[in-house]
Amino acid sequence: MIEQAVFWLLGATMIVGALGVILMPNTINSVMSLLLSMLALAGIYVLMGAHVVALFQVIIYIGAVLVLFIYVIMLLNLKEGGLKLPLETSTYFIGGCSLGLLVVVVWLFWQSLWGTSFRSETGGDLQASATLHQLAVDLFSQHILIFELTSVLLLVAAVGAIIISRK
Amino acid sequence: MGFYHFLSLGIILFTIGAVGFLIRNNTIVLLMSVELMLNSVNLIFVAFSRYLYGTEGQIYVFIIMTIAAAEVAVGLAIVISIYRLFGSLDISKIKLLKG
Repeated sequence: MIEQAVFWLLGATMIVGALGVILMPNTINSVMSLLLSMLALAGIYVLMGAHVVALFQVIIYIGAVLVLFIYVIMLLNLKEGGLKLPLETSTYFIGGCSLGLLVVVVWLFWQSLWGTSFRSETGGDLQASATLHQLAVDLFSQHILIFELTSVLLLVAAVGAIIISRK
Repeated sequence: MGFYHFLSLGIILFTIGAVGFLIRNNTIVLLMSVELMLNSVNLIFVAFSRYLYGTEGQIYVFIIMTIAAAEVAVGLAIVISIYRLFGSLDISKIKLLKG
C-alpha cells in the first residue's frame, strides 16, 4: 500500500521534472528540473530493489553529469530564451514521423510482452533483486571484456574532450 | 506495482525526452533531452532485470551510465567550441553545413 503511494509520488515527480527540462525557458532551471527527475528516478530504483544502481545514479548523474552541465552553463553565461514558437514546418514533419515510429515500437513491445508472466510482487518489493556480491561476480567474470573496453572509452572521451575544447 | 507500471513510466520518460529533442533549439537542452532518453532506457533495463531475476540488466545500466558520462563530456566540449565559433547555442543558427 505505502509502496504504491511512493511509486505514484515518485513517478509524478519524475514526469513533472522531465517536462520541466524541456519547457523551462531558462537553461539553469532545466538543469534543476533534470536533478529533480533523476532524484525521483533513483527513488524508483530503490523501490525496485536495485540499490546499487540508485547509488550510482546519484553519484554519476547528479554528482558528475549535472555538475558538468551547470559548470558549462555558468561558464558560457547563457542568456537565451526558451521555446520559440511557431516551430518550423520540418520540425512538425520530423516530430510526426518520430511519434508515429514511437507508437509502432510501443505497440510491438506491448504485443510481444502481453501475456508473459512476470514474477508477482506480493511483498518484499524493497528486497534487492541482485545483491552487490552477485553483481560484482558477474561484472568481473562474465562481463570483464566490456568493462575494460568501457574504461578505455572513458579515457578516450576524457582526452577527446580536452582536445576539442582547447583553444 | 507490476512490471508494466515501470515499463510505462520508462516509455513516458522516453517520449518526453524525444519531444524535447525535437522542439528545442538550445544545444544544452538537447543534450539534457538525450540524458532523459538514456535514463528511461536505464529504467526499463532495471525493470527487466528485476522481473526476470537477472543481473545482466543492472550491469548494462552501469555500462550505459559510463557511456552517458563520456558522451556528456565530449558533448559539452563541442558545445563550448560551438559557442566560441558562433557566439550562440541556437541550433537553428548553425548552418555551416547547409552550403
